[in-house]
Amino acid sequence: MHKALLAAACLAVIAVPARAQDVVLGAVLPLSGASATLGDDQRRGIELAVEQINEGGGVLGGRKLRVIVEDSGGRAPSALDAAKKLVTVDKVPAVIGEYSSGITIPIGQYLVQEGKVHVNIGSSSGRIRALGDGAFSVIGLDNVSSGFAADDVIAQGWKTAAFIAPNNAYGQGVAEQFQKALKERGGEVVSTVLYTEGQTTYRRELQQLERGRPDVYVYSAYGKEAATINREAFELGLNSTPWYAIYLSMCTTDADPKFVQGQYGLDLNNIGPDGKSYEEAYRKKYGENFRTSFNGYGYDSVKLLAAAIDKAGSAEPAAITKALKEIGNGYQGATGDITFDADRQRSKQPYLRLKIEDGTKQR
Amino acid sequence: MSEFLIHVAIMACLYGLLSLSLNLQIGFAGLVNFGQVILFGCGTYGASIAFSHQLGPVAGILLGITFAILVALAFARLGRNLGADYWGIATLAMAEVLRIIVNNEDWLTGGAQGVGGIPLIFGDMPRPAGPLLTLALCLALLACAWWLCNRLTTSRYGLALKLMREEPQLAASLGYSLSALKSQTLMVAAVLAAAAGFVFAHYVTFVGPDQLVASETFLIWAMVVIGGTGNHLGAIVGAILMQFLFAYVPFVKDALGLPSEYVAAMRLMLVGGGLLAFLMWRTQGLIPERVGETRHV
Amino acid sequence: MVQFLVDVLIRAVDLALIAIGLSSVYSLIRFPNVALVQYATTGALLALALQMAGLPLLAAGIVACLMVGALAVLLNLMVFERLLRAGSAIAMIGSLALSMVFSAIFLVTAGPRAQRFELDIAPPLRFLGARVTEHQLIAAAISAVAIAGFALILFRTDLGRCMRATATNSVLARATGIDTRKVTGTVVFLSGVMAALGGIGIAVKGEMSVHLGLDMLLPVFAAAILGGLGNALGAAVGALVIAMAETLVTNVNFGPIFGQSLLFIPAAYATAASFLLLVIVLLARPYGLFVSEVKRV
Repeated sequence: MHKALLAAACLAVIAVPARAQDVVLGAVLPLSGASATLGDDQRRGIELAVEQINEGGGVLGGRKLRVIVEDSGGRAPSALDAAKKLVTVDKVPAVIGEYSSGITIPIGQYLVQEGKVHVNIGSSSGRIRALGDGAFSVIGLDNVSSGFAADDVIAQGWKTAAFIAPNNAYGQGVAEQFQKALKERGGEVVSTVLYTEGQTTYRRELQQLERGRPDVYVYSAYGKEAATINREAFELGLNSTPWYAIYLSMCTTDADPKFVQGQYGLDLNNIGPDGKSYEEAYRKKYGENFRTSFNGYGYDSVKLLAAAIDKAGSAEPAAITKALKEIGNGYQGATGDITFDADRQRSKQPYLRLKIEDGTKQR
Repeated sequence: MSEFLIHVAIMACLYGLLSLSLNLQIGFAGLVNFGQVILFGCGTYGASIAFSHQLGPVAGILLGITFAILVALAFARLGRNLGADYWGIATLAMAEVLRIIVNNEDWLTGGAQGVGGIPLIFGDMPRPAGPLLTLALCLALLACAWWLCNRLTTSRYGLALKLMREEPQLAASLGYSLSALKSQTLMVAAVLAAAAGFVFAHYVTFVGPDQLVASETFLIWAMVVIGGTGNHLGAIVGAILMQFLFAYVPFVKDALGLPSEYVAAMRLMLVGGGLLAFLMWRTQGLIPERVGETRHV
Repeated sequence: MVQFLVDVLIRAVDLALIAIGLSSVYSLIRFPNVALVQYATTGALLALALQMAGLPLLAAGIVACLMVGALAVLLNLMVFERLLRAGSAIAMIGSLALSMVFSAIFLVTAGPRAQRFELDIAPPLRFLGARVTEHQLIAAAISAVAIAGFALILFRTDLGRCMRATATNSVLARATGIDTRKVTGTVVFLSGVMAALGGIGIAVKGEMSVHLGLDMLLPVFAAAILGGLGNALGAAVGALVIAMAETLVTNVNFGPIFGQSLLFIPAAYATAASFLLLVIVLLARPYGLFVSEVKRV
């Protein structure tokens, strides 16, 4: 029985067609499970970048670029299966992904052990900093966005804030960083609610926040939960107090415009030379505005990797790592200026200050 | 042997342990445990708590086993006067409560962000010796567990378990303490699952609450039912088969040129559809239980 | 205080219909059907699709409910009757497998994105200081009517008498000339309709995704078990108790006791509270609050 299985498995390995001419990269994304909306949007960014690069003549003087996207299912064992498949079977030099810190960290560790390149495009946990050489982040970690949000909140004259975010790796990370950042700037988070995803109502959580009588509600949410929270905040009349969204477009994309009228927020700044054209390309291809804020990182990661491969003149991991470090200094991506710090993490990000008033406007 | 194959084989061994553990509960003692994943979690969190509080791996395995036995005793206490289906839901609820606690008590468990950087078992070995040794360790562990389970279930004790499963009243009238039998089985099963969890933590090097969702339990259920409940070899074969199928779904996608979201749907269909098909048309599984198999009578 | 009651009611209504469906079906075919929560999702998705196809919401809702009822009968004949021959635990696992198959189908047909009905948005109404919306009132009213109608059928009609007779002693019921198969079929149909109505009720008030059903699984089970599986109206009370526990945990301020202005139990523990309540009740009353039968397994 075992032998038969092993033989079948070996056959499956051999049967995969290999196109030697293409330069192949890998990506592990949550295309199913709780974060599927985000994972799917990350894939869109990657797809767009690959299309554009190939239309522009590919990489390494005319070779086609291909990114094999694998589903993590939102579970670490499957993500690790996928990463190992990409590295040992598809022989990719670099893997992009994932979204949850709980999955990004193990696959990042594995890739670093293997001496491959890992590009984080979705996780913002501070623990990613410690992954080691070869692991890059094109997304600013929690401290970057939280610091910016805290600055902005104080600048608006708000002193006390109530904070709500999902009770997962992302939400816990932002909550901790934002609390710290606001305190350093003289403000205070009077109440924090981390909600359990997948509930039919968040009225009770919102009313708990209301008890703190904050100057401003600060939140970060996505998908069905974000839409529900916005609707219920409106229904409870909480929108008479200002709302501030960390990643405004992500928080409001699924909500009715009436519910989110008047909200403040920060968002990614698509101002690089690629920014505007990227936004238009996205709208043209998918027929809607950015679904989440995360697609741009997928796009930038592929563009960066392609540029690094061209600069290094090879698709070897060590050469890509070296080239990435050189390129990642003032690189103008769709999400703005990308500069890596000594830990290869994006050190700054030019966010936009936004307000929704009959459509999203810059403040 | 390619590295990917080694990886899949290691995971298959670990799932084999979990599957043996669940099979001992449902296949022999008739305990419908829907909280299996939390017993595994006891092992992973034993490793992670020991690592993040600098206690060393030996403390990790001891912690894991202690947690597992405590959870098993709690499950058994609940099971003392509950019907099988009620108990199933109760274990599912308890597992979820424990997962929520682990997700929120940051100071102890690392919270939702989990704990990374747990050392590999043979991390300082050159490659490919490291992964191969890990595989050898997992195979040895699986073989030991198999031997232990076999030994247990072919003894008088195993007969008592089967008697309890089929005719609980008769077993009680013959002087067997049903609650003692249940809690002993649960404890053995819990230790096996915790061992798998401990090795998993030191292989994947990351422990987080997302690894403990209920769907993982259902996957292990599918392994046992497809392999054959009440047969140790069946449980192992089921685990290996499912793990290989899971790992090779992406290759099917590559070969057929399907979009990636079909991988998720295909995995769900494999678990759900496979489980359902076996339950309906081949309840005994791939390798049926052997009736009347004992050494000491 | 009024606001507290309104919040409890809104949440209870979400749970009640599906819990009643689960409980009533359990009274006749003795296993908890996990797939019922997926019937709720199916109902909501069907109604959504029909509304998009141009039907008015009311018609779409009715057609969707009837279709799901028919689907429930069909699945009962094709899948569960067969599974039940192997025992209630097997049937329960089978229903779990079936709900995974449902998930796979939803994933491929409806996609993972959040969706909502096209409805006008009304500003919130103030009612004795509590804030509610029109949609919430309508959903609550429809649920109340459905529950009352179900109670009427159960206690005031001939069919209801047959149902209760079959539930209490199906052999005796058959002997007195009741067509128990037909009665079971009717109850299964009604349970499907109730579940679909519950799903639509949740979707109408806001957003829904394909995960709607599975997210409801544990709270609904907790409600049904608290009320005592098999006791349909007990399930409604169970839903109220669960909703109240969750709301108390999120809204009671412990600050004054500890000399702080605000101190809450973390909201993440709200769901844990209802599961813990379930476990505690099961420890004290193994068959729920409103079922007096005692049997030991």
